[in-house]
Amino acid sequence: MLFYSFFKSLVGKDVVVELKNDLSICGTLHSVDQYLNIKMTDISVTDPEKYPHMLSVKNCFIRGSVVRYVQLPADEVDTQLLQDAAHFYSEEKSLDTWP
Amino acid sequence: MFHFQSFEDDCTLEEEGLVEEEDEIDQFNDDTFGAGAIDDDWQEEHARLAELDEQVRDGVHGAGDASSVDLPLAGGNAHSSALPQPSSSSRLYPDTDERGGGDLAESLTRLILGSDPAIAGVGTARSDRSHLPPMLSGQAPQPSALAGQSSLLLSYQQQQQLMRRGPAPLPQINSHSIWENSMGFSPVSSGLVTQKEDKTLMSIIKEVGLPNRPPALSREEGRDLSERVPPPRSSSPVIGSPPVRAVPIGTPPKQPMSQVHNHQNNHPSAIHVRASVPLRYPPPFPERLSPNNLLSIANSPLSHPPFPAGVGPVLSQIQRAQLLNSQIGQFPRGPAPPLLQGGVGGFRPFFGPSGPRMGPHGPPLGHAPIRHNTTHLHPQHRRMLNQRMQNRGLGDHVGGRGVGDRRNRDPYSNLMTQREKEWVARIQMMQLQSTDPYLDDYYYQNYYEKMEKRQERDRDNRKEHTTKLITPQVAKLEHTYRPVQFAGSLGKLTVSSVNNPRKMIDAVVTTSSNDEEKREKQVWNKRRQILYTVEKMYSLLLEVQDFEKKFLQTPEHQRDALLEQHKTHTLQLYNSLREKEWDDRVSDEQCLMIMSVRKGKRLISRLLPFLPQPQAAAVVMGIARNLPALAKKDKQDQVLCWLVEPVTVVVQSMSSTSLTDLLQELQGSEGQLPLVLQNKFGVTLLYLILSEGERMQSSDPNCQLMDDNRWTELVFSVTRELLKVPSSALSSPLFTPPNLVSLFSRYVDRQRLELLQEKLQITALSR
Repeated sequence: MLFYSFFKSLVGKDVVVELKNDLSICGTLHSVDQYLNIKMTDISVTDPEKYPHMLSVKNCFIRGSVVRYVQLPADEVDTQLLQDAAHFYSEEKSLDTWP
Repeated sequence: MFHFQSFEDDCTLEEEGLVEEEDEIDQFNDDTFGAGAIDDDWQEEHARLAELDEQVRDGVHGAGDASSVDLPLAGGNAHSSALPQPSSSSRLYPDTDERGGGDLAESLTRLILGSDPAIAGVGTARSDRSHLPPMLSGQAPQPSALAGQSSLLLSYQQQQQLMRRGPAPLPQINSHSIWENSMGFSPVSSGLVTQKEDKTLMSIIKEVGLPNRPPALSREEGRDLSERVPPPRSSSPVIGSPPVRAVPIGTPPKQPMSQVHNHQNNHPSAIHVRASVPLRYPPPFPERLSPNNLLSIANSPLSHPPFPAGVGPVLSQIQRAQLLNSQIGQFPRGPAPPLLQGGVGGFRPFFGPSGPRMGPHGPPLGHAPIRHNTTHLHPQHRRMLNQRMQNRGLGDHVGGRGVGDRRNRDPYSNLMTQREKEWVARIQMMQLQSTDPYLDDYYYQNYYEKMEKRQERDRDNRKEHTTKLITPQVAKLEHTYRPVQFAGSLGKLTVSSVNNPRKMIDAVVTTSSNDEEKREKQVWNKRRQILYTVEKMYSLLLEVQDFEKKFLQTPEHQRDALLEQHKTHTLQLYNSLREKEWDDRVSDEQCLMIMSVRKGKRLISRLLPFLPQPQAAAVVMGIARNLPALAKKDKQDQVLCWLVEPVTVVVQSMSSTSLTDLLQELQGSEGQLPLVLQNKFGVTLLYLILSEGERMQSSDPNCQLMDDNRWTELVFSVTRELLKVPSSALSSPLFTPPNLVSLFSRYVDRQRLELLQEKLQITALSR
């Protein structure tokens, strides 16, 4: 749930998603789900338009498994918090101590 | 098996089977030859009809009566399988002569059915069938399979017409008048007709697809009509996994089908149509859609004029039919589409209450901006998103219209009903329910908390309440997993699953005896050790950080325990910095090791605020002591400056003696100070100390700082060093405290002061 939580905080921001088929899509992150499927609005293909079939596409849904990279705005990310979150998830904390 | 039964049984069984078969075949026929899958050029159809009429008159015997109607229709199926070979259609002429009598009956009845629009609706009122015998006697069967095929097509056509006529099947006889013009087509030469027929056949086949498929489909649909739903899982599919909960998730919502069923059952004229597919719609292939749906649409209003509004599925089928309109409108077909549209539109009066449901077809035009799923977003987040949408919505006003138009004619909409969509969405959302949102959604929650704090800081005087994020929380259910056991059996199941794992591999760690490798390994091991320590400390640190939150949430009586726990944690943290238990000093080696890692520095910087004063001071002293080494190691990372903030806090709360000590530590051995001065952090630290001392002196005249000469001496040496060091070796600090000038003015003469000022770029009015 870590990255789902992470991407939720980035909803509404502009990201560039690079897919495993080398297609790079730039757009606004509309929503994300627990499989890290991504819905983007207002998209444009970042690379020179060698993908002309994408010219008319405005919104897209990307299956999470085909994503290679997601390029994020650096100032929207709190790396320290991310590290802490990773700590949280890596440990098996028992909730029994917490009433 | 039949051999062992009595002859009577045999017969009855066969008979039953036959009857059933007949029914089934009949039903197949409805679908196969049913409501217009083809939107054909009726003129061509009638040209063919006319041709057929001629041939029928030329032809031979008519053996049909009403009872044989069914059988030939069965044969019609077989013939339909011949349809896929349109090229052979012309060649069928010679073939049919061989088939002979049986086919004649078939083709005759088919012809009759085809030609007489009143009969064409198989499954309409039986009264229509009474027309059969007179017509049969009137016309001779036409012995060509081609005719049979074309009458198949004709019957499609008839169905369509039935549709168009709407509620009045009987008057259709009169409607012959509409086609009288086409009857006049008879003078058309046979060759031309056959060509036309071929073409239409091919086009029909291309557009309709193979008629074999609908029967198969309808057969399935007929059988598990009410069991469209996959059966609920009563046991988990995998042995060893936990049992499925009582509520079966896997059942899609059942549509209110009872009413539709009733219609079917009550209607005496035995509509052989399936109460078709309210739940599952076949893939978006319009032609296949129409036989079922359009026919049911045709039938249900026919039988019950005061149509109850509550039948959901049929309504949606109307929508579907309307969709079909739009689809058909796209295909290049002649006068047929307008007729169809008119016909279906004619159903509207029956479905008055369905008006509001037509909503999706006339959607609000596209200038409505895209709605995010903003259910569980932080209010700030939502506000941001709304702002964004507004900004964009204004710009997209023009572009929206095109989208709206496009949406009117979406051939893939309405595949699922609203309930089904909600059901799927609910399943997905169920997976997101969390028993502890703080844990499950750590990053998001904390990110927005920080944002809140930032905003509070920025506009701290505003009364505007900071909206808090409330995440719905589901109560945690304890599932204790016990592996499947069979009562009275010896031993346990040997199935391992994710919940019941068993050791599969015996992994043995082997260490190589190579010396060089050993040395390398040692080096790596040491680093790994440091990292490991850092990680452990981090976990403790996180717990410590969360202490406050926990504290607020725990009930009163447990708070003491929590406090104790917190103290233990902090002590543990501190202890890890010390090597030996009895020594109060921070172990240099350990501290150094930890600080050598970037993460370690971060750790210390976060740790310092939590440590009690003496311990924190000890840590800072340790840092000061080892500053040159640290500075060297930090060359690559340059992250020592993370420490400035917490160190500032510590320094400002230090006592004068400790401050003096600190300054001494900083200067340390010979040659340390220049190195310190080279480093940004070092300079900053120095300034901090000095300014703190100054502050102490100026604020409190009885300050102990001047009790012994240490402070003064130290400051002297500092100033000496500062003047000695070339400007290039002096790095600029992060910030310059304002009272340095006053400090230096205390200790040095004017000339030197000026020099210092120039060097350090301190002015009386400093930033």
